Amino acid sequence: MEVSGQHIGHGIREEEEQAISEKLPEILGEFSRERSSLLPILQRIQEAFKFLSPGAIKAVAEYLGLSGSEVYGVATFYNQFRFHPPGRHEIKICMGTACHVKGGDVILENFERRLGIKEGETTPDREYSIERVACVGCCALAPVAVVDDKVIGYMQPSKVEGLFLQFEIQRKIREGQIKTEAS
Amino acid sequence: MGERSEIGDRYETLRRRIKEELENEQNGVPTIRITMSTCARAAGAEETRKAIEDAIAAFGLSAKIIPVGCLGHCYAEPLIILDYPTTGLPPICYHSVNAGKARLIIQSYLQESDPAFEYIMGAMEENDLIPPVTTFPRFGLEERIVMTHCGRINPWDIREYIANDGYSALAAALTDLPERIIDEVEKSGLRGRGGAGFPTGRKWRLGRAQESNRKVVICNADEGDPGAYMDRTIIESNPHQLLEGIAICAYAVGADTAIIYIRAEYPLAVKTIEQAIREAKAYGFLGERILGSDFSLDVKIFQGSGAFVCGEETALIQSIEGRRGMPQHRPPYPVERGLWGYPTIVNNVKTFSYVPSIINKGAEWFQSIGTERSPGTAIFSIVGNVKHPGLVEVAMGTTLRTLIFDICGGIANKKTFKAVQIGGPSGGCLSEVFLDTPIDFDSLTQVGAMMGSGGMVVMDEDSCMVDVARYFLDFTQKESCGKCTFCRIGTKHLLDILDRITRGKGQEEDLKILEDLSRDIKQGSLCGLGKTAPNPVITSIRYFFDEYVAHVRDKRCPALKCRSLIAYYIDLERCARGCEACVGSCPVEAIFTTKGRKKAIDQSLCVKCGECMVACPKEYDAVLRVSPPELAPIIERPPMR
Amino acid sequence: MVKITVDGKKLETEEHLTVLEACLQNGIFIPNLCFLKTRPHPHASCRLCFVSIEGYDRPITACTERVRDGLVVKTDTPEVRALQRSAFKLLMSLHPCNAKLCPTEKPCLLMRIAKHIGVGINPKPLERINRGLPDFVDFGSLYYVPNRCVLCARCIHTCRSINKRPLLTFAKRGIMTMVAYFSSGNDSEVCSNCNACVDICPVAALLPKSAFINFLEAKETHA
Repeated sequence: MEVSGQHIGHGIREEEEQAISEKLPEILGEFSRERSSLLPILQRIQEAFKFLSPGAIKAVAEYLGLSGSEVYGVATFYNQFRFHPPGRHEIKICMGTACHVKGGDVILENFERRLGIKEGETTPDREYSIERVACVGCCALAPVAVVDDKVIGYMQPSKVEGLFLQFEIQRKIREGQIKTEAS
Repeated sequence: MGERSEIGDRYETLRRRIKEELENEQNGVPTIRITMSTCARAAGAEETRKAIEDAIAAFGLSAKIIPVGCLGHCYAEPLIILDYPTTGLPPICYHSVNAGKARLIIQSYLQESDPAFEYIMGAMEENDLIPPVTTFPRFGLEERIVMTHCGRINPWDIREYIANDGYSALAAALTDLPERIIDEVEKSGLRGRGGAGFPTGRKWRLGRAQESNRKVVICNADEGDPGAYMDRTIIESNPHQLLEGIAICAYAVGADTAIIYIRAEYPLAVKTIEQAIREAKAYGFLGERILGSDFSLDVKIFQGSGAFVCGEETALIQSIEGRRGMPQHRPPYPVERGLWGYPTIVNNVKTFSYVPSIINKGAEWFQSIGTERSPGTAIFSIVGNVKHPGLVEVAMGTTLRTLIFDICGGIANKKTFKAVQIGGPSGGCLSEVFLDTPIDFDSLTQVGAMMGSGGMVVMDEDSCMVDVARYFLDFTQKESCGKCTFCRIGTKHLLDILDRITRGKGQEEDLKILEDLSRDIKQGSLCGLGKTAPNPVITSIRYFFDEYVAHVRDKRCPALKCRSLIAYYIDLERCARGCEACVGSCPVEAIFTTKGRKKAIDQSLCVKCGECMVACPKEYDAVLRVSPPELAPIIERPPMR
Repeated sequence: MVKITVDGKKLETEEHLTVLEACLQNGIFIPNLCFLKTRPHPHASCRLCFVSIEGYDRPITACTERVRDGLVVKTDTPEVRALQRSAFKLLMSLHPCNAKLCPTEKPCLLMRIAKHIGVGINPKPLERINRGLPDFVDFGSLYYVPNRCVLCARCIHTCRSINKRPLLTFAKRGIMTMVAYFSSGNDSEVCSNCNACVDICPVAALLPKSAFINFLEAKETHA
């Protein structure tokens, strides 16, 4: 049986919720306490933490004098908001008309197959997540993917491999498995 | 009267000062204008810019790099316009300038005074030496009002807009009576460019007539139609023209607040307009007592959160108020009771962007362009299977043939034209029968499509119309707000049935259900999204009925697109012995080597992604598709040794 | 007072009423689910209350049209019935009907509407849609049955007018839209068990936990 609203926030670590609640007051303080601030606040929180945690929703409700339900209801209406932490690298595949005509679904499948997850999911190691997005407005360059906020045009399966190669190298550098020249 | 002429004088002085300032800055130094809009960046404009900067530094040159918006030639991005006045040559436009080309052009032209003819697209002015861009059919056939300065002026520097007489319409408007502004807009016949084509002047007059201590103007930049991106481009290329239009509207209707509702998916457009607002305030075109008049206007930005339905004005208002973006029953119309209960005038980006030109050049001039009932120009984004996709501004009444074949170079890859989808999820798919239909608001509605926001997706013979209808229903179904029964549940049924048909599981009765349900959804839905959602189904059934029948009766996809109804196979006659190109491309290891050392596909493993078809070298072209899938030749996998 | 004609009958009604209210007050039934007298702006979401009004070229919803002198209304033209049947079938394609398990008093509102517009309670020729939603959602003191819910929003509105802070809301959107309860843990947001939402629900999609236990037993015996 599902408990209302409690299915959100899957996979959040306790220290993450802790860190979020520490930084929240400062973020909330940037906004006036009126209902029109609701979407801008949620956007700002997602920008800061990449998703909306249950604790953040409660804090926003408190701040604006709304009920938890109202904030939850509004947040779940909009595509933009996420309720689970995404991967380090966010991969968004454009599903606009031009991208569809030019095989955007094949690109999406490529990412899905490569990572073993479906759109809307995050890899267990939290390195990657895949999302499908409505048109990003670069139709003349279809098919298009947006990887970590960079728009990549004329997407091809071979470009997918190149991207991951680059990410894996970055990861190894990060984890100290490869030493860079500077170090 | 004294105060009024003061406004004009103040503007004139400012404009003159800025022009001088810019001329002094230029002072014979070459300028390099580089397109830096979202699509240009996606095509590598940032790398190009870096390469230009590096080249200038490396050769020790002095040149000024100026970012500009989009020229509309998206297929040729990134573009640069190089103006080197001391050579005596006009400004020259180069296309598809990647980092390598950029270095070569800078070296050749700026260092060695040779304009690198091989990379030139055309000269920006008439001259004797270099063919001007106007010799391109596209430049010749287009008629630009809103996009005149797009891709030519720096959207991040208000002075370039002012130097091109920007904000002169606002200055003129402020010296006139609001009613007269509305008269002029009404007389021009301008119709709302958001899709429905409501007369703008009438809307403003209704807004003006409302008695309220506060009124609000909203600019709808929630461009959600997949395949349409002109609003984004206009904002990224000429944000001040939009702000000027908004300010004129606010003055005319008596509003003190304006909100630009823009999609969060357009981060660059958001940044551009934010900066433009800051600059316009600093120069006294927005904010308190504009140009010293009594008129003040506060302009704010509100970012949408990813809901297509928020393009509908009542849903948009709900969303600004911090609610779920669910459309409300009208009346009351927003112009009577809108945002926070105040009279609210909602117009689209393009609509506002026409206003400065109408004020400057007059209603009659605007009337003289386009058709009688749809005056002015139309801006289309033409994408899909055309050679030269991009943004196009043409007089209303231009035919689809001119747009697709003359302006955009026809169908790419030697394929044939099949259909054009106009107006996004609310629009329809038109067949070649309509290529010579002059397009305006009314002619499109008549044939079951819609102007919508002006997105056009051109499709070639490889596009399956049932699949396209399914795509759009998938979109509207996902974007339905879920409020009313017809849209919430009806679109889901349409989608399920179309899905069934594309998987070869459709029955002939399904076609009847599709038609009946489409008609009911159209009649019974609460808002415009639902009322227009069945259009892609209705038009594709009407104009491409045979394709539906093929899917349902013969379980065959004539366009070889629907994956459940096709099979890929390798033609052994064409396949080259020993070539392994396809093997590596297959993500599921379905390709094996036959006894004759050629390749074949194991149909039980194939996921029909089509990558082998791309990988197969053009000279062999051995990977083929067939529908229904049973027609593919069966080749046994030789036993493992 | 305003004079209108409904199905040939002359009626005198108060001004400022909607056509739907005027008809219902005069004993003329027009199918409806989302109408609530206490709601200032019509929700207009169920799309069942279509009527034909002289001067309009197509049926319109009676809950959104105000009465005015001389209005001529017909509640049972073929066009009206076609739209009502279509909307009703759509609703029924999400609402699995199991009379033995359903705690509503029979005939329930849906059955009465079906009879009134002359259709069965199955969605034919439409197929049933399975959204993969849970059978029950725990709302603290209540259980919510998403597959029964017709999203009329009566519960949301009723809860809102009783509690200053609305405890119930719509969540998600499109075909996945559900009623939800998300407590911020604040005392003022704990359900007071007034059961107003349970009482107003036309399709027994909200159940108090006590009723629910009986219901579970019934389900087991039935199975």
